[in-house]
Amino acid sequence: MPEPAIVAEELTYRYGDLLAVDHISFTVERGEILGFLGPNGAGKSTTVKMLTGQLRPASGRALLLGIDVARYPKRVQARIGVCFEQPNLYEELSGVDNLRLFANLFNARDVDINALLRRVGLDGRGGDLVGRYSKGMKQRLMIARALVNRPDILFLDEPTEGLDPTSAEAIRRVILEEQQRGATIFLTTHDMYEADRLCNRVAFINSGKIVALDTPHNLKQQYGKRMVRAEVVGPDGALLTREIVLDRPETPAEIADLLAHQQVVTLHSEEATLEDIFIRLTGRGLA
Amino acid sequence: MNLRRILALLYREAVQGPKNFIFIFTIVVPLGLSLALGLIFGTFFSGKPRLGIVDAGNSRVTQLAEAMPSLIVRRYASEAELRDATAKGVVDVGLVLAADFDQRVLSAQSGSLTVYVWGESLLRDRVLIGTAIADWLRELAGHEPPVTIETTMLGANNELTWQQRLLPLLVLMTVVFGALMLPASSLVSEKQHRTLSALLVTPATRAEIYLAKGVIGIALSTVTALLVLALNGAWSNQIWLVLLVLFLGAVLSAEFGILLGVLINDINSLFATVKAMGLLLYAPALIALFPIIPQWIAQIFPTFYMVDPVIAIVQRGATLSDIAGHLAVLGVMIVALAGALRVVRERSVGA
Repeated sequence: MPEPAIVAEELTYRYGDLLAVDHISFTVERGEILGFLGPNGAGKSTTVKMLTGQLRPASGRALLLGIDVARYPKRVQARIGVCFEQPNLYEELSGVDNLRLFANLFNARDVDINALLRRVGLDGRGGDLVGRYSKGMKQRLMIARALVNRPDILFLDEPTEGLDPTSAEAIRRVILEEQQRGATIFLTTHDMYEADRLCNRVAFINSGKIVALDTPHNLKQQYGKRMVRAEVVGPDGALLTREIVLDRPETPAEIADLLAHQQVVTLHSEEATLEDIFIRLTGRGLA
Repeated sequence: MNLRRILALLYREAVQGPKNFIFIFTIVVPLGLSLALGLIFGTFFSGKPRLGIVDAGNSRVTQLAEAMPSLIVRRYASEAELRDATAKGVVDVGLVLAADFDQRVLSAQSGSLTVYVWGESLLRDRVLIGTAIADWLRELAGHEPPVTIETTMLGANNELTWQQRLLPLLVLMTVVFGALMLPASSLVSEKQHRTLSALLVTPATRAEIYLAKGVIGIALSTVTALLVLALNGAWSNQIWLVLLVLFLGAVLSAEFGILLGVLINDINSLFATVKAMGLLLYAPALIALFPIIPQWIAQIFPTFYMVDPVIAIVQRGATLSDIAGHLAVLGVMIVALAGALRVVRERSVGA
């Protein structure tokens, strides 16, 4: 069995007195998409910086593809792709020149830049200066840049944040294509829908600690509440909402009572979302 | 270090550089000032070097001089007239040929030649006339002539012209500003636009990134400084030595620029810092502007060791042995700053 793509062992980082990342440990298997979820300031970016060799951990270690990141950052960086949350492209250069620069830095001589641009929906715009691109186009170009070296591990930080649905969908499609190619994807996101849809597993981080790590399905099973939500007509004719939690002994009787004695207008079953679970685990939202 | 990566980074710097106002400033300001000074002091339109001759014996030297199209030759009736014309700058160099000068040279007797030099004449003109005189004497004698040349400076012979005094400032502006500000501003801009983070998660190392930025600053400022010297009539026949000093000065400035770029996070702070250090950087040139100030004070400032050797070569004809001490100091500063950069680079990795 191949070694995991990412192994974090007791990773810790401090900014002065603030413990930003507190002894976290986890592994990510090859070809897996791991969603890394948490509110602002939870330690997500610091963890990614340690995993990508941008920061040296205060203690603990990270192994990527079996290589110690702190000891051999450049060896690791040659095999990863990183897409940052904020655009950080050379705006005075064209899209093609941006990709060519990074292809040269990775010594990726055989990369087909036009094909990369086509994959992210920027064909025909590669010659334009990046400064003239929209936010969505810049984000797509950053994804293309992260792919120039056909990385074994792809780190994506909020890749669809603030994008129109078409751009966001184009990026999600590329993420799934990369997974099919065999790449491991470490996806940092606030978007629960995206995490639920794309990720094999999700990790919740809060105050520098991982508070849960499992598949979205298992997390919902473990922490979520299934329920039925009904809109009924009240005594004065106004609409009232009633919620009946499922999976309890008294649930069938409560539903029977609702249907027999109330005028039901709408009836929906509801599943817990990852956000509900996060709030339940941490007492705070993801925003 | 990987040459391919450094070239890729250099290419980006070169493509993006001309859009950077500091890049333009580095070239335009010193060259523009040189042109302005040339116009003000008239050196652009100075034309050919002017030689005055007093010839009591119809010398062959006079005939050779008058046959030379690249010189303006004026004859004077007496040595007193020639001295007066030279002192007033009517001619750059005055030559006194005795009645029996040719005979003494041809009979291999030792002779002497009196030469007057206008104190404010351009070094270029003096060198041209001096070389020509040596050639004429050789042609007259058929061998190396046994002639002693007695040179007398006339006019403002103890003072430098304003253009000469301003030259250190122009050289410092070009070398220090260009080689320091180009890498510093480029590095700060990469931090502000977060592109440095993108570079640092590739196989490119900090050292490669710094080197590419330094090279562009060094190359541009060295070439511009050579142009500035040429425009100011300070072109030397020891051009390789001048180039070496300019290069070392640019290396020192680039190292300092990179250090500032690593330590400073925004462009406004960078400008404020450079402005605050302006006096330290330009002090040697400012001191040279005012001869009344004791000139040894300039030696306290590090930039003295890059500008003084250049001026010594182009204005005083200094040789490598004359400036070796200054170059050694320059070398020590380069090594010390390289060490400081290494320490700062190591710290940035863990930050």
